[in-house]
Amino acid sequence: MGIERIKSIKDLPPEENVFSGTPACAGCGALLSLRLTLKALGRKIVIVNAAGCFTLLTIYPYTPFANSWLYTAMASAPAGAQGVRDALDILLEKGRLDPEEDLKVVVLTGDGAAYDIGLASTSGAIYRNLDFYYLCYDNEAYGNTGFQRSGATPFGSGTGTTPPGSVRPTGTELPKKDLFEIWRSHKPPYLATISPAYPVDLINKFKKAEQYKGPKLFIALSPCPPGWATDPSYTVKLAKLAVGTGVWALKEAVYGEVSHTIVPKKFKPVEEYLKEQGRFAHLFKPVRQEETLKKMQEMVDDYWKRHQLLL
Amino acid sequence: MLMLRVRFHGRGGQGAKVASRVLGTAAFLEGYYAQDFPLYGAERRGAPIAAFTRIADEPIMERGVISEPDVVIVMDKTLLRDHQAKPLSGLKKGGVIFINTPQSPEEARAEYTIAGQIITLDLTKICLDILQRTVISSLAGAVAAKIVGLSEASLKAAVEKVISEIVTDSVILEKNIEAALYCFHAIPAVELKTTEAVQMESRVFTMPFEPAAISSPALNTTGTTVLRKTGNWRVFRPVWDYDACNKCQICVARCPEGCILVNEEGFPYVDYENCKGCLICVEECPAKTLGKEREVHAKADSEEVIG
Amino acid sequence: MKKEMLTGNAAAAWGVRLAEVDYIPAFPVTPQTEIIETLARWIADGDMASRFVTMDSEHSMITAAGAASATGVRAFTATSSQGLLYGFEMLYAVAGWRVPLVMVNVSRGLSAPITLETDHNDVLAARDSGFLQIHCETCQEVLDSILMAYRLVEDERVLLPIIVNMDGFYLSFTREPVEVPNLERVRNFLPPYQPKHAFFKASQPMAQSVTALGGSLYSYFKYQMHLGSQKALEVYKEVCVEFEKEFGRHYDTIEGYMLDDADYVLVMTNSFSTLGKAAVKRARARGIKAGLLRLRLLRPFPAENIQRALTGKRAVAVIDQNISVGKGGILHSDVASCLCNEKQRPLLFSFIGGLGGKNISPGEFEFIFTELIKAVAGEAVEPSQLLYTEEEWQEMVRLKRIAGKE
Repeated sequence: MGIERIKSIKDLPPEENVFSGTPACAGCGALLSLRLTLKALGRKIVIVNAAGCFTLLTIYPYTPFANSWLYTAMASAPAGAQGVRDALDILLEKGRLDPEEDLKVVVLTGDGAAYDIGLASTSGAIYRNLDFYYLCYDNEAYGNTGFQRSGATPFGSGTGTTPPGSVRPTGTELPKKDLFEIWRSHKPPYLATISPAYPVDLINKFKKAEQYKGPKLFIALSPCPPGWATDPSYTVKLAKLAVGTGVWALKEAVYGEVSHTIVPKKFKPVEEYLKEQGRFAHLFKPVRQEETLKKMQEMVDDYWKRHQLLL
Repeated sequence: MLMLRVRFHGRGGQGAKVASRVLGTAAFLEGYYAQDFPLYGAERRGAPIAAFTRIADEPIMERGVISEPDVVIVMDKTLLRDHQAKPLSGLKKGGVIFINTPQSPEEARAEYTIAGQIITLDLTKICLDILQRTVISSLAGAVAAKIVGLSEASLKAAVEKVISEIVTDSVILEKNIEAALYCFHAIPAVELKTTEAVQMESRVFTMPFEPAAISSPALNTTGTTVLRKTGNWRVFRPVWDYDACNKCQICVARCPEGCILVNEEGFPYVDYENCKGCLICVEECPAKTLGKEREVHAKADSEEVIG
Repeated sequence: MKKEMLTGNAAAAWGVRLAEVDYIPAFPVTPQTEIIETLARWIADGDMASRFVTMDSEHSMITAAGAASATGVRAFTATSSQGLLYGFEMLYAVAGWRVPLVMVNVSRGLSAPITLETDHNDVLAARDSGFLQIHCETCQEVLDSILMAYRLVEDERVLLPIIVNMDGFYLSFTREPVEVPNLERVRNFLPPYQPKHAFFKASQPMAQSVTALGGSLYSYFKYQMHLGSQKALEVYKEVCVEFEKEFGRHYDTIEGYMLDDADYVLVMTNSFSTLGKAAVKRARARGIKAGLLRLRLLRPFPAENIQRALTGKRAVAVIDQNISVGKGGILHSDVASCLCNEKQRPLLFSFIGGLGGKNISPGEFEFIFTELIKAVAGEAVEPSQLLYTEEEWQEMVRLKRIAGKE
């Protein structure tokens, strides 16, 4: 296929489409995911934002964006995207909008909206084959309200609503939902997981997605320094560890056909990733929770065995 | 009747809210009526926030922000030039300003042209020495407790109570108490000579109708956040060593803010006006040519006269 | 122009068709469904050049409609009862976006318990959202109000969304003669929508509905919505004049029936106003100087007009087809607020009637007039009363017995 793939970090599009000075936390992994995504998408886009951390990027009278933007509620950004896309198509069809003025429609959402409250409207938009991009910055909890358990929170993570205690020491007792597979069951043209630490992979996935009309999903595992209780400077390091340990599989699916884009040559132990983060600190101190740690490693191993990439 | 209003100015993550609680708790334990309350906007770690403590010997008939404080605790001196935070606004005549800075009061007075009583102490250094971190909540609370004249015993009990509600690690708790007491003793006893608050007269304005083209919450501009100058959020700044830099541009790719640029010779440089000091660039530099330096000079983002 | 037998739902669909609406996101809910089915049929047959999308919920539906409006097309949607409440959050959002969406609500009592027939708790729950509200008595009025609604809210002095309300069953499914205007005349009255304040295009990026932190900012935006809504009173007058010029029918913000010389006045809204008018006629025949005031525009609230209409009357009964649980009638409070400073204010009664579509019988209306006359003669004004008959109570006793409630 005639896609111009980039090869190194030096090939990243130089244009910055989300400007500095945002209220996002220092070291915000989601902001890095967004910045790279907008490098790929360019400025002729309209972002439809689900309520979440990034609702607060635009605060009157300031916006970090070079493109258009619309606030919607937490549950219905894909429905907002539907309205915007349909309206643009109507205006184009009726000759009321110059084709040069057309915009790509991009839903921007956190994991709380993507995995939980917005799932019905997301499912509806995929089902209707809406032509849009969907970027979920997944920091694995409701980050905007402090850090409470969402459907994206992994097994073993402490959060504000699943605090590890003396009776229930694990923290979150349920495994993370598989949003990729939820989407894949709808058979959209393009799905990908991305990482802010792998910008070349990220850009190339957007380049590839561009050729498909219909729903295009991107889930970016995005370290959250305050929620994960990590130093802001570790954001990229953690995003790399998530991939290196196999916790975050970088993959894509074209019309449902899955392929992994980056597979570690040798998987690091999951513990290397966990021990850096305050949200998992209770697994190591005051008592090492051996069973839980073992189970977390097994969950990762099972995934890669299932895909025959770990023998 | 006694009524003292203390306003804390810090940056998200520095502990202004907890400082106001340490002070409020100490006053409560000493038998006063007390009230404490934080106010923060959308911003997270690093952005200016304020917290308030009221202390009185009668039930407190006030709520919300303190616009005319008797004491201002500036936990991050860069806030003195922050046009959002405006830490000195409304400070009453005879009131006390505390500034977290290595400077002497005279140096601070000269730099910021501040009238009124100034007290300074380098809380960040003390905190880095004792706690190896920059969360100075207990320290700022201790400073305020000393300024308003509360006892050491009340302060100690308050730090114990407030900090143990947040952290379970007993070592961290002990070190918080140690740092708080150190600061309590390092601050001289002061006399507050303020009088009862004088409410500024405000006239009610009849808002005119404006059409939706003007009055809808929409922006017809782009990229305006750069005006907000988040460079003030930094505790440490990244510094490049061009002799060792191999121009790999990894730091450029890794910056969430997109504020590392490349100069004509291909060397990276940062927009210090907006760099929040996350230091991912320092962590990620493969050649280890990036270092960090503690911010000691406030970055002026306007020429406004302060005070 | 010829008349046809149309249901309220069909009349609504005709209004939308004649307004040449671009976009209709929809979701079915009884008793509104017929509107969207009719529109879908016309679109499928090529009678309307609109885009129709069945959404996944009313919440999504209102979001999509508002977002399309914010992108610059003329949008329409319709809902009812639970559907309105399911999308409730988005009412406030879309109003805050300052976009001229027109939505029909077909009133139906709210669950629990589930019911199908009409009352106004659904639409009145939305009264503080920023949506303007027009409440209709006849099927003709439904059609006409949709045309007026677009003209009103697309005016750049207003730019707020609007709900056109009709009663479920009693209008939605009721056929009566309706004059369907000629498209050319509608075009004279309603120019195409050309947004200058809310759109999305590459050459002029716009961030719509950004966060407003701090009370003084938020107060500004909220109060401007209020001022915009108030401005709509002035614009509404112009729209009325223009509408009458084109179509010969006149719709003021309020409608008086035998009101000018009346001493005893019923205040009502929507389709049951017809029953009230009949009751007034009967009372007049008995020598009672009765009259009726129908509230048509509920938001913005035409307080001055109501004041003028009711000042100097001897007694007024507000019949609320709704109940604010723990308070009583919703409109009673609104009417009271615009009379309380008048020296010549009438005695003001509150009656709750017609909940869940319960009939209001001639006997119940008679009871109301008797109460008003007694109070004017010196007896105390009774607190809020429910209109409910002995027969209805007896039936309820029987049903409770079957339900095992002994």
